[in-house]
Amino acid sequence: MISVPVILSVMFLGGVLAWLANRFVPKGASWTAAIIAAFAGYLVFALPSCGGEYSLALGSITLVWKSTNYSALFAMLVAVLGFLGILYSMDFMAGKKNLGYYYMNFLFALGAMLGIVYSQDLVSLFFFWEVMTWSSFMLVIYSGEEKSHKAGIKYFAYSAIGAYLILSAIVILYAQSNSFLLSENIKMFSGMSLGTQIMVISFLALGFGVKSAMMPLHVWAPEAYKESPSGFTAVFSGALSKMGIFGLGLVIFKFAANTEIFGYVRETLAWLGGLTAMLATFYAVIQSDAKKLLAYSSIGQLGYIIVGLALGTPLGIMAALFLTIMHGAFKAMLFMTAGAVYMRTGTTSLNDVSGLITKMPLTFLTALFGIISVSGIPPLGGFISKWMLYQALLETNHYFLIIVIFIASTAAFLYLYRFIFSFFLGQKEKEVEHVKEVPWSMLVPMMFLTLFVLFAGLFPGVILDPIGKAMGYLGNFKASWEPQVVFSAWGEKINMQVIAGTIGTIFILGALFIGYKNKKATRVVSTKDIHTAGEIPTENENLTYAVNFNQPFERAIAPILKWSVDKLFNLLGENLESTFEYLRYVYTGNGQTYAMYVILMVVILILFSGSIFGIHL
Amino acid sequence: MDSSTWIKILGYIITPITAFVVGVTYGGIVRVITARVQNRFGPPITQNFWDIIKLYSKKTAVHHGLMQHWGPIFAITASVTSLFFIPVLKDSPLWLNNSFNGDIIFLLYMMVFGSLGMALGAGQTGNPNSAIGVARGLALMVGYEVPFVLALVAIMIQFKTTSIAELMAVQDGFSNWLIFQSPFAFIAAILAFLGMMHYAPFDVTFAPAEIASGPASEFGGKYLALMQTSGSIFTFAKLVLFTDIFLGGAGDLVTLIVKTFLLYMIPVLTGIVNPRYRTEQAITFFWKWPTVFGIIAILIVVL
Repeated sequence: MISVPVILSVMFLGGVLAWLANRFVPKGASWTAAIIAAFAGYLVFALPSCGGEYSLALGSITLVWKSTNYSALFAMLVAVLGFLGILYSMDFMAGKKNLGYYYMNFLFALGAMLGIVYSQDLVSLFFFWEVMTWSSFMLVIYSGEEKSHKAGIKYFAYSAIGAYLILSAIVILYAQSNSFLLSENIKMFSGMSLGTQIMVISFLALGFGVKSAMMPLHVWAPEAYKESPSGFTAVFSGALSKMGIFGLGLVIFKFAANTEIFGYVRETLAWLGGLTAMLATFYAVIQSDAKKLLAYSSIGQLGYIIVGLALGTPLGIMAALFLTIMHGAFKAMLFMTAGAVYMRTGTTSLNDVSGLITKMPLTFLTALFGIISVSGIPPLGGFISKWMLYQALLETNHYFLIIVIFIASTAAFLYLYRFIFSFFLGQKEKEVEHVKEVPWSMLVPMMFLTLFVLFAGLFPGVILDPIGKAMGYLGNFKASWEPQVVFSAWGEKINMQVIAGTIGTIFILGALFIGYKNKKATRVVSTKDIHTAGEIPTENENLTYAVNFNQPFERAIAPILKWSVDKLFNLLGENLESTFEYLRYVYTGNGQTYAMYVILMVVILILFSGSIFGIHL
Repeated sequence: MDSSTWIKILGYIITPITAFVVGVTYGGIVRVITARVQNRFGPPITQNFWDIIKLYSKKTAVHHGLMQHWGPIFAITASVTSLFFIPVLKDSPLWLNNSFNGDIIFLLYMMVFGSLGMALGAGQTGNPNSAIGVARGLALMVGYEVPFVLALVAIMIQFKTTSIAELMAVQDGFSNWLIFQSPFAFIAAILAFLGMMHYAPFDVTFAPAEIASGPASEFGGKYLALMQTSGSIFTFAKLVLFTDIFLGGAGDLVTLIVKTFLLYMIPVLTGIVNPRYRTEQAITFFWKWPTVFGIIAILIVVL
């Protein structure tokens, strides 16, 4: 009988096992980790999507773990991406130091994510949330360099703030309901006072918002994504950030839905999500490092997901959950591509590498499918989520939000093209002569995900089935679809069969036409052999156009970019430092002063023994 | 197979051919008009046909790799697919093709498919001018997309539909054309249309005198011919889309040609008398007055 504790113990014990294996067998850690992840992935899929319940009483606290339709969706994402990430790491990390440490933390992070989605009580939710933060923090600082430490500390500081907000919300809930069970708290939530409701919802939303990198809480993400090893970054962006989305889904539809402020919560989150999507896209456009670019792109895409959830209509939620799955796939693909380029060239800077297409054709194909899917061009999976999101925005009368989303979505072409152009297209320089395609263990996960986004575009219904069930857990949401047709609330539809058929047919006809007798007639020439109006470029002349690729656009949005949240927080930090200087006058280090404070505090408590914030203490 | 299937198949063949013929003829007329404005005589109207036929018959000697082959194929795929999802004539089974299986939002994305494909093809050639052209073109797209989408959103929320066929259905009768029902949306959309057609002052992408035709500079022979074919079909598709949305569509080919020609003259005549913007000026142009008109269009519908 498979139950949740079995899966969790496989992951956590497996993590320790991988660490031990690294001590005794060379390459032991990666094989152990891959086998463990595959086994745990199998268990996740074998676990009935509604069941596997297990409860454990620890004194007065009862821990309950159970799989629901909603958690099954996220668990599958974690399991698949986790396994592919570890598979990818096998060769990507080969020969690096501290592999036991790497795989242990990787498996701990996966186990913690599964723990989060399966938790039915707030204590284990918080516990696994912390384990997830810790283990991912360990992986951010993996390289041990100065930069990674900085990124790690930033990540940890924001995560800690998020965690404390979640903890405070849990404490407030417990004070009211006297129970840590999720179901109990949801049941009693509508009966709590308005002040409590606002506080709990905003604390939880902010706490989960940190993990899903919602602006203005996103500042940790670009550097943390950049510094973590690419095998893990794929999971970091693809699955770990989705834990925030998982939590936000619960906050919106399980807690906020039964309160008076439901509308306000949704509007606020929708606009925060929309602005996140737009601003993050603008920042992605001006990045010159591939992983940072993808990190901002990831922030932006999570913005779309938040918008979809916050709309609260069946189509919106469906769009959000579909995009959750799709984003997991295509962002993992792109991070893996960036990692592959890094492995072969030693850099992720978009200014330094170009012309890899003939050297790494399969990696290029992955990147191509990835960017087509991110940009939402039919017939790949990304398009369907975009289409549903726009229809949902239209049906809920979000006239201006849809424009914001459209700008974000169009501007995404700029950075996506830059990503693929700088790495794979453009001038082929001598520096990349030695580059080879990456090994099979890295290509397999990339190719698998490539086929997945193609499949998701052709048969969206297959993926919409588990999503529909997950929506049933969140509330009474009904949307209609067929295996290849998706409908909107206004009665519009898109038929993916016809779309893919048309595109495929014309593409094949065009290919036949271009290919006809072409093979022998033409020969391949170097990228120096180009039209340059009579000037013949010499062998060493640099014709690469990569630095400041998007300068025209950058100039156009310069007024918007002046404004940076990161700078704002840094300014705040500096001011806080000077404030803390004053605090030294309070904490004098003198015992008598402290004794006086204690007495003062007691006096204050006696005076104001009524209530604080309307909560009886 | 029954007769309706045959009509459908005939439609799939006739539609792109018509689009090609009309598009290329328009191209020829534009060359004549431009010449007359510049006090030249200009080539015959059929010149573009001969150019394309000549290019198709030429052999290509060199290429830079797979993506360069795929670029023009992507372009023709996008333009013909877009055309198939636009109802060319009203209530005519021959010209409807696939238009009930997609909608405006789908078309917005489908239309980008070709540009991105072309951009990828141009990218592989390694020509810096191509890359510069692509960066400009994509940036310009973000510019004109804003007023265009504002206009479309205004119309979509007014009639609660995203289907082009349904939008055509509500425009029965001259006075019900959307150009009169929502004039501000039309103004915003037509200003965006200027950018979409890449005529001056928004010809930053191809800018012949500046970046040697940008993305197209490494393509010759049947690649160039395929790109020109795709360009002509795409021009026609965009014109039909605008006619369908704002000018009530057309019941027969003659009406369609009159309407599309008049519409086409707006960017052409603007282009002839204007110099070129810098890219960032072009982008910010769209974010000023056209956007304001688009917002007004939405506010009118909402209030």
